[in-house]
Parts: sequence; C-alpha cells; structure tokens
Amino acid sequence: MPAIQEISDTLIRDQIVKAVVEVFKTMLSEAIGLSTNPENQQLWPPYTVPHAPQAHVVGTVGFLGDINGLIYIYLPVAFAEHCTGKLLGMTAEELTEAGAEPVNDAVGELTNMIVGVFKNGLCDVGYACKLTIPSIMRGDNFSVDVKRPNSRHIYVFESHGHRVVADILMKTDE
Amino acid sequence: MRNKILTVDDSKTVRIIVKKAFKGFDCEIFEAANGVEGLALAAKDMPDLILLDVTMPVMDGVEMLTKLKADPQLKGIPVMMLTAEGGREHVLKIAKIGVRDYIVKPFKEDLLIDKAGRIIDLKPLSDGPGRIRSILDPVDVLVVEDKPAIVEQIRDGLKHTPWTIHGAESQARALDMCSKKLPDLILISLSLPDDTSFALLRALRANPKTKYVPAFALVVKTELGIQAQAQQVGFTSIITKPIDTAELESKAAKAMNLDTSSRYYKVEGDYVVMSLPENCSPAVLAEAAHYLKTKFSESVDAGHNRAIIDIHFVRSLHMGVIKLLLQAMQTCRELAMSYTLVGNAQIITECKGFEDTRSWQFFATVEEAKAAMVKELVGA
Repeated sequence: MPAIQEISDTLIRDQIVKAVVEVFKTMLSEAIGLSTNPENQQLWPPYTVPHAPQAHVVGTVGFLGDINGLIYIYLPVAFAEHCTGKLLGMTAEELTEAGAEPVNDAVGELTNMIVGVFKNGLCDVGYACKLTIPSIMRGDNFSVDVKRPNSRHIYVFESHGHRVVADILMKTDE
Repeated sequence: MRNKILTVDDSKTVRIIVKKAFKGFDCEIFEAANGVEGLALAAKDMPDLILLDVTMPVMDGVEMLTKLKADPQLKGIPVMMLTAEGGREHVLKIAKIGVRDYIVKPFKEDLLIDKAGRIIDLKPLSDGPGRIRSILDPVDVLVVEDKPAIVEQIRDGLKHTPWTIHGAESQARALDMCSKKLPDLILISLSLPDDTSFALLRALRANPKTKYVPAFALVVKTELGIQAQAQQVGFTSIITKPIDTAELESKAAKAMNLDTSSRYYKVEGDYVVMSLPENCSPAVLAEAAHYLKTKFSESVDAGHNRAIIDIHFVRSLHMGVIKLLLQAMQTCRELAMSYTLVGNAQIITECKGFEDTRSWQFFATVEEAKAAMVKELVGA
C-alpha cells in the first residue's frame, strides 16, 4: 500500500472532479465543472458570500480503511431543492409541501454517490476503504475547522450559476 | 403474475428512484431501510428480486446477503447490489457471497431496468383496467425501413386513422427513437442491409421496455424463405409487400389490442346500428362477431332496445355474411330487442335465392328503418 502522503493533489482533484461531474450528469442530467471564476475561489466558507449570505444544505460522508477522511458537499438551499426535484420527479409545490426531509435525504444520497465514486477510485489504486452513513447539516453561518490545514482540499464547482463546494478532509499519518 | 421487488436501502431517495424506475412495469415494490427489515420482508413476501445497498445502519447489506444465502428458504431469491461501494476488491468479495448483478451508484434508471429485466420477466403495465384503447385513440407506429417511399405509402394508407407513423432508416436510429418514446407498434423491413432486421428484433426483445411491443416483419410477398425465418425468430406478424394497408390496419389493431368495435357499432339516438363494410372478409366478419353480444347488451343496458342491421354497403352476400346476420338476429331475440334490416338492391335480390334469407324484409336507408320502427311502436 502506498503511503498516504503519496496521494497527490492531482489525484485528489481528478477524482473529486470525476465524481461530482459523473453524479450530476447521471442522476440529474446537469452539467457541472470546476469554477473558473476567480471570485468564486475566494468565497470560502460559503456563508461568507459578501452581502448575500445563503442558507446551505451540507452532506457529509466519510471513508474508513487504508485511508480515512470525510467529504462535505455544500449546496445552496435553492439549488439543493432544484436537484431534489429533478432526482425524485417532484414539482416545486410538492417539495414545499414535503418540507426539508426529501431535500436532506437527496443531498445525503448525492453526497454518498460523490464520495463513493471518489473513494472507489482510490480503492482501485491501492487504498481500500469503506463508506460511512451520510449525515446532513443545514445553516447559513457555520464553519468546519481542521487541525492540519494541509490535509484539506477545497474545490469550488459551478452549475448554472450555482456554487457547489467539495471540502475534502483527509487524516494524515502524523 | 406481478413481480415483487424488494429494495433495501437506508436512503428514501434511492427507494423513490427505484419505485419511479419500475413505475411502467407490472411489479410491486417493497421497501426496507436496513438489513434487518430486509430479511423480515424477504421471508414474509418472498420477492422475485432484491435490490440491496451495502452501507446501512442496524444491519448492512453484506451481513444481510450472508444471512439470506444461509437461509434455505431465501437463498434462491436473486439479489442485485445497488450501492456506492464499488472498489474492485469489494465487488469481488460481495460477488463471492452470491449476487446476480452489481450496479455501482450513480446509475441510470434505464440501466436498472435493463439489468433487472435479465433476471425477472418485466411486463409493461397496460393503460389500466378501466381504460381499453380504441381504434380512435392516437398510437405511435415506428416503421424501420431504408426506403422512404414505403414509409410514405404506409403513412398515406393509414392517414384516415389517428395513428402517427414515424420512420427510422436504420437499426441505430430505431433503437434511439424507442429509448426516447416507446412506440405502440414496430414494423421492421427485412430488406435492411446485413441482417440488421433480425439483430434489431433481438435487441428489442432483450430490452424490458420494448420486449412486449408488437413487431411486424415487412417482406416481399415472394420471399417465402425469409417469411418462414421471420416467423421462427418471433415477429408478431408478417406484412407482405406490396402492402395491403387495410390488412395492415386490421392486424395492427389486433396486435395493439385496440377496441375496433366503433367500426361496426354505433349508437344513434335510441338505436344501436350495426353496420358492415363493402368488403366482408373473414377477418372483418370475425371482428364484427367478436363485439356483437357485448355491444347489443350494452345498448339494452343503456335503455336502447332497438337495433338496425345495416348491410347496404355490402357488395355481395355470402355464407359468412348470412351467418353473422343470423347470429345478430338471434342475439336481438335473446335480448328482447326489436330489429330491422337495411340493404341494397343487389343484396335484396341475392337474399331471395336462399331458403334462410328469403323472408328477410329490408329498408333502403337507416332513416326509413328508424321511421318504420317508430310507426310500429306507435301502432303497438
């Protein structure tokens, strides 16, 4: 098994881009890609959007095994609702009536799939690991701190003007 | 018999997607949120297929699968994994416990249906018990033919119907069109190059969505060898070229299970009118006879107990027509309906020549027949 430090930033970036693009394309028929907008890269954490704080639904799924870590996927609530509608074939009215539960569950499942594709890619290059059960957070003013910032990789994606953030935290051997 | 499918996944989203995917098929979906619930439902309902996630609380998919395969009652139930856990080693480990297939999320609903259809016989749902489609309803007919003139000929020959004729010049185009909108009937020319006609039929029959769509072979009348081959490989019916569009329409309506009674029966005011066309082929007579009792009974139920049997379009009388008319008159007597006959001069003359028909009284038009029945009613 290669050492955890041998996982390059390029491999991590390629895997997360592949995962996000594949899940959005297959499950939602939505185009998504890494944001090329330099302003977007500075807008971290997502709730600090100047003058326009946005409520987010955040899915989290971990992976445990030869490598350990977890990935947070941030979706603005409006975009999360749009994705849920497409995924489940529900209208905006039906979603409003159903409340937060289907949106939370859908974001949890999308996160599960994204992290699944990401970690399956790592499994196939020698890092065997398993997924954890998804969990969900909602809010417009919270942040996740890490002890070692160098083990954190943040990628900002864009789909139809909506910003989707993948925050990857990997546990190092130190 | 309806297929029973058990989806075991802690995500309600996935369970909804599974239900959505199988919506168009005759199957019942059972849901479980973890392995414990899954095992209990499997034992209670004995599903025909289990779709199983791996990562779940309480009991995960691997443990459920292991327990299922260790149970003599349940081990025969086919299991298809539907999970985000897809590393090569992981898949191999699970495959060794015994699964029929493995889908790694994300997945397309079509892929799920395709793979499930290889394990169980998925039958598309009909339009529902209360809704039988009629010859007057719009249907989509796909003609796979590389000669546009033939497609045009079929379109022209069926223009009096509300049917939409779509043309596809190749196998690939036909499959693409089927995936976008499922046709009600497919006509495949057997003169497509390189055996692609038979390959197309095989592809249609291998796909659960198109498996039960009736497929007709279009073949030149003299090519008897190819016709025999078409019958062997399972075409629903054969239409010979040059195409007789009346024959095509009749066979198509039958294959699509369309109610064609409106061709022969209609209610006009207080009367039910049975009308036969100019050319009474055996197929036409059989079709008219098929609806006879039902249509007359429905009329009596609705309070209309007078029938007009109109054969003034019929070109000539033969035993088939006489037999159907005798059957219609007998049905009227059984249902206590009064009836009259409408016929043309040729038919009236021909009737005089047969013992059974010599005494039949005809009116020249439906209106005259109605007036006579009213008069009789007033007189009574």
